[in-house]
Amino acid sequence: MHRVEHVMGMGIVVAARDGDVPDDVFDWFRHVDETFSTYREGSEISRIRRGELAVGDASEEVQRVLGRCTELREETSGFFDIDAVDGDPSGYVKGWSVDEAAAILDRAGLQEHAINAGGDIRVRGTWRIGIQHPLEPQALAKEVEGTDVAVATSGAYERGEHVRDPHSSHPPAGILSVTITGPDLGTADAYATAAFAMGGHRAPNWTAQLDGYEAMTILADGRVLSTPGFPSA
Amino acid sequence: MRTKITAAIGVVALALPVANAAAAAKKKVVTITRTVKGPQAVADQWGYVEVALVVKKTTTTVGTHKTVKRTITKVTAPIYPNHTDRSVFINEQAIPLLTQEVLTTTKFNPNIELVGGATATSYAFAQSLQAALIQAKRI
Repeated sequence: MHRVEHVMGMGIVVAARDGDVPDDVFDWFRHVDETFSTYREGSEISRIRRGELAVGDASEEVQRVLGRCTELREETSGFFDIDAVDGDPSGYVKGWSVDEAAAILDRAGLQEHAINAGGDIRVRGTWRIGIQHPLEPQALAKEVEGTDVAVATSGAYERGEHVRDPHSSHPPAGILSVTITGPDLGTADAYATAAFAMGGHRAPNWTAQLDGYEAMTILADGRVLSTPGFPSA
Repeated sequence: MRTKITAAIGVVALALPVANAAAAAKKKVVTITRTVKGPQAVADQWGYVEVALVVKKTTTTVGTHKTVKRTITKVTAPIYPNHTDRSVFINEQAIPLLTQEVLTTTKFNPNIELVGGATATSYAFAQSLQAALIQAKRI
């Protein structure tokens, strides 16, 4: 069965082949929205950004998420930096919330499930995944078979065109999209955002040295550069 | 798919010398190189992208048997966004660590269960499509 709900400003699809999708998955996403949304004045993140709440006084999960964002800034040489977007952690929160939702499905006994949150995906079991073409919205650039994997994509065609190089504030050059696969969607999403922000000069090299994560970078000249372990069809 | 075709050509090529010896047919190899361009595609605010491919076509004729092999020898983008930064340079050291392909366009098909990537240009489209793909699996 599958369910689609509009939460956190996007459609979230939860599908399971071996049973019903439990309600508490969407309760979880609503909780994440209430806690982390920058569009909600009363969320902990909004209060932190306005200086009304100290990070040290925030809930344990907010502290954990912000701590991980700091680690990711180090891991990406500053190319994933929530300080560059006024402390908005949503670039990590989306993937992280899907990772936690997948754990809820695991605990419910489901072994064949998939979550697609606005184009970022995490699957348990084996699923066929199409990666959208960066220039042709109604076509795919790649078809892959993924097993127990997270798949995150960052590109110029994303909503809001918000990805910029935090060092220069310029949109990245020479690159159309970066797709990262690996065990954790929050991390994969942050890596994809960072690699895309690096631009076509740096991104492919940087993805080649990632530990436990694979990448496919689509350059503006039409070259597609993949790390050796990137899933195939 | 391409690997399979190459393999099939390989088998033919291996078989040919035997036929050659028997028929003493002459082998003729003709190689032509052409440049083909794709249509200009819109990349949102990025502007337009046009990709040109240099294709080498080798036609090998042995007796009455003709084998055609096409290879893409160069990919360029005569038109693409951010023209201030035309040269996309990849460090030579990284090339062995990365496989290089040419960007292809694949139509959606009912085998696809999930669509990853994008949201902006086609957010509603992608969402609707995602649902339809799941439905299609049940028909």
